Amino acid sequence: MVRQIDPERLPAGTYLNTGQAANRALRVNRLCYDLKEPANRAAFEADPEALMARYDLEPEDRQLIRDRDWLGLVQRGANVFPLLRLSQLCGDGLAGTGAQMRGETLEQYLATRQAKGS
Amino acid sequence: MARIIGGLGSPHAPSIGALIDQGGWDQPEWKKLMDGYRPMQDWLEAHKPDAAILIYNDHVTSFFFDRYPTFALSVASEHPVADEGFGPRPLPPVRGDSDLAWHLAHALVEDEFDLTICQDMPLDHGALTPISAFWPNHANGWPTAIVPIAVNVLQFPVPTPRRLYKLGQALRRAVESWPQDKTVVVLGTGGLSHQLHGERFGFRNADWDHEFLSLLETDPEALASLRTQDYIERGGAEGAEMVMWLAMRGALSGEARKLHVNYHGPLHTGFAQILFEEPAAVIA
Ligand SMILES: [Fe+2]
Repeated sequence: MVRQIDPERLPAGTYLNTGQAANRALRVNRLCYDLKEPANRAAFEADPEALMARYDLEPEDRQLIRDRDWLGLVQRGANVFPLLRLSQLCGDGLAGTGAQMRGETLEQYLATRQAKGS
Repeated sequence: MARIIGGLGSPHAPSIGALIDQGGWDQPEWKKLMDGYRPMQDWLEAHKPDAAILIYNDHVTSFFFDRYPTFALSVASEHPVADEGFGPRPLPPVRGDSDLAWHLAHALVEDEFDLTICQDMPLDHGALTPISAFWPNHANGWPTAIVPIAVNVLQFPVPTPRRLYKLGQALRRAVESWPQDKTVVVLGTGGLSHQLHGERFGFRNADWDHEFLSLLETDPEALASLRTQDYIERGGAEGAEMVMWLAMRGALSGEARKLHVNYHGPLHTGFAQILFEEPAAVIA
């Protein structure tokens, strides 16, 4: 049998959605997943603390959400697709979310690209 | 007997869907990409396939990680347009083909692909982007029935590249055992190279994308022999979804001819389109 993944040799800055990190991130992922419901988007915008309380998040996760720390959330196991619902609700588009994860400003990131569209 | 007349590959990024909804087909920055759809639209218009088997992935819209299927086949006769978090796209519900889908379910399970069978599966950008690009006059409904198969490419372990290639081969056997005189195309979606998370966000690899497109035509076996790790290293963690194109290629015969290929990757993702035609399309 061929081993498909070498977890210890993944490219730097890559976080695989698997294992204990995936278990730990289930509640954060669920909060983000549920933002596909307009009522939950409105609830987050009205009172993020109250919405987070419903999901029984760990204090670390709550703080990362308060800080809009998208890289920190990914490093804790959050998957980028549900996370993009949250980051975009907070005003960071795909490029802005990505720039933050790279440790760059949006302008710095777009300067590395040929196109500027989102 | 039903027959496969072609295979088409397309990205499925939501930005392309937004461009289509805005009527942005000629927007200068994206014209090279959008023009790549024209020969595919013309071919579909000329051949009018009865059904399209759509290999895509759901982006945690219809499925959540609490119970996450590796392969999920929709047998629904209609699919709602999902709200992914920004309101649903202004598209009509997507017509399915329950008869074909139930036939595929039986045939694939007998062929040892134990799929999750879904009766209510809203579609997100993974499915909607390619079909709205292939059939641009969709305002009043879809001319071809869509049979979606969702693949787990998000929560590891994901199926191997070879498994996707074999899924395509099993799909061909399944279609050819459907006792209806219908024409079918297979759509592979996603990619090509991109990574959307971590410090490696924005990783692209145009050399690998071009090699992939060329091997897809000439030596798909070589692509099936690679490991998931190879796809992550060469094409980014999210780019590893390009294995879904192997299911499209696996469903084609050795006689399939490449009619068209296009590549444009100016932003986060290396976007590509490809069109293969079967001799069965010419006879028809
Ligand atoms: Fe995808």
